[in-house]
Amino acid sequence: MKCVSLYNQGSHRWLAFGQDPAKPDAVIDTVQYVVCAQGGAMLLDPGGMEVFPPMLASITQEIAIEDVSGIFLSHQDPDVGSSLPLWRRVCNPETKIYVSALWTGFIAHFDREAVFTAIPDEGMEISLGSDVRLKLVPAHYLHSPGNFHVYDAKAKILFSGDMGAALVPPGAASGMFVENFASHIPYMEGFHRRWMSSNRARDAWVAAVSKLDIEMMAPQHGLVFKGDDVPRFLEWISGLDLGSGVAAMAR
Amino acid sequence: MAQLSAGVRRARREAQRSVRIQGRASGLLGDCRRAFHAFGELDELAENLRILSLNAELAAGRAGEMGRAVRALTQYTRELVNRLAQIQGEMFGLRVKTYALSSDVLRELLQLHLFERAADLVAANSASSKSAGIVADRAFAQVMRRMVDTLDSLADSVEAVARRAQAIEEVVSQSDSIATNIAIEASSAGVHEKEFRTVSDTMRRYVDDLRQMIDEASDAVRRALEKGDSLRRIGLENLHELQAKRILGE
Ligand SMILES: [Fe+2]
Ligand SMILES: [Fe+2]
Repeated sequence: MKCVSLYNQGSHRWLAFGQDPAKPDAVIDTVQYVVCAQGGAMLLDPGGMEVFPPMLASITQEIAIEDVSGIFLSHQDPDVGSSLPLWRRVCNPETKIYVSALWTGFIAHFDREAVFTAIPDEGMEISLGSDVRLKLVPAHYLHSPGNFHVYDAKAKILFSGDMGAALVPPGAASGMFVENFASHIPYMEGFHRRWMSSNRARDAWVAAVSKLDIEMMAPQHGLVFKGDDVPRFLEWISGLDLGSGVAAMAR
Repeated sequence: MAQLSAGVRRARREAQRSVRIQGRASGLLGDCRRAFHAFGELDELAENLRILSLNAELAAGRAGEMGRAVRALTQYTRELVNRLAQIQGEMFGLRVKTYALSSDVLRELLQLHLFERAADLVAANSASSKSAGIVADRAFAQVMRRMVDTLDSLADSVEAVARRAQAIEEVVSQSDSIATNIAIEASSAGVHEKEFRTVSDTMRRYVDDLRQMIDEASDAVRRALEKGDSLRRIGLENLHELQAKRILGE
């Protein structure tokens, strides 16, 4: 599994893990992120259980597993966190698990012993070390009804869950970043039209996120947007008609 | 097709401890299923026996004084039917418990497999720290220990099933001798002989069915116990191995 550093200032680091060549084809490709600061580390969408073995092997090359202090799940999907019961076995028992208050009882279906810190609809802030604050930004209905992104104002990185996700065919990307926005659109368009349900929610999210100073937007599938590709994405998503599945019911 | 690194290939080849366990466990669960499937007919057989005893009692009543012994025998049969119903109730509880434990075993197996793969990938990675391997091995050991405990509970519940099978066997052999006694009574029952003989023949048929059911179920239970025991041994061997590697940190 590949590991790419997105940000590295002293102990404050953002790492992206993905593009595992040994991943079975049937399993959708995901990117897992780790934010570290001063001996604490937070896993962002640690992935499905199929990803757990290579992920554990890769992450332990970068950080000590005892340093993991938090696990954040953007929403309830299996590709996001069905590995949770496995992580809980290797992490410190005090490791906090953050997930939308909507989903705690549902995620308990794959880990009945987990104790959750329920994120209220408005979001919340989490400290990592003494000077890194992670802001959990609401992104409800995009696609999940209880959904959060993570913004790190110091690193200027927004982890955007399924927002900005792309189904990039194997071999089509050489690195972890979007190189050419226009040619990246075909990998995102169908996904966003069908998976993202609400134009209203999208507008509210774009308005909120536009106020943040973002240098990188890191989605859970596909490639990371950096620099001008971030506003480019916001503009592109603003013009897209979401909820295409409704047409199938109208017929 | 993606190129797999030598480390990944090695990890895949080596992740076989859990595969071996998995093979045996699915055999064990299959045997449990087979046993309960066999007992599934108990319901109908007990009901048939109950109806037969009612009919026999009516026939005995019609025979008056000549039916007195048969009447006593049918009352005894009714008691056996009650006993069967009681066993059936207990068996229902055991089935629920066994299936719950089986699903625990399945979940633990899945976790074992994933931790094993993780440990092997860590081991294959020269850049990984030694403590990373220990973390994965320790998680493997914890799940293995839990699985051994679950297998113990599963063995208890399969043994309880075996005891019920034995109890049914007793009912069967008593029913068999009742059938024989009704046949003896029939030979001296004059005009009622035919009626009593039909009762005894039918009863014998039910006894044969019950016996066949018990044979099938007992065979499955015996195999399940053997497999459970060997699985438990494999689990303990694994734990000892890990203990020898000082993974468990006692
Ligand atoms: Fe999702
Ligand atoms: Fe996803």
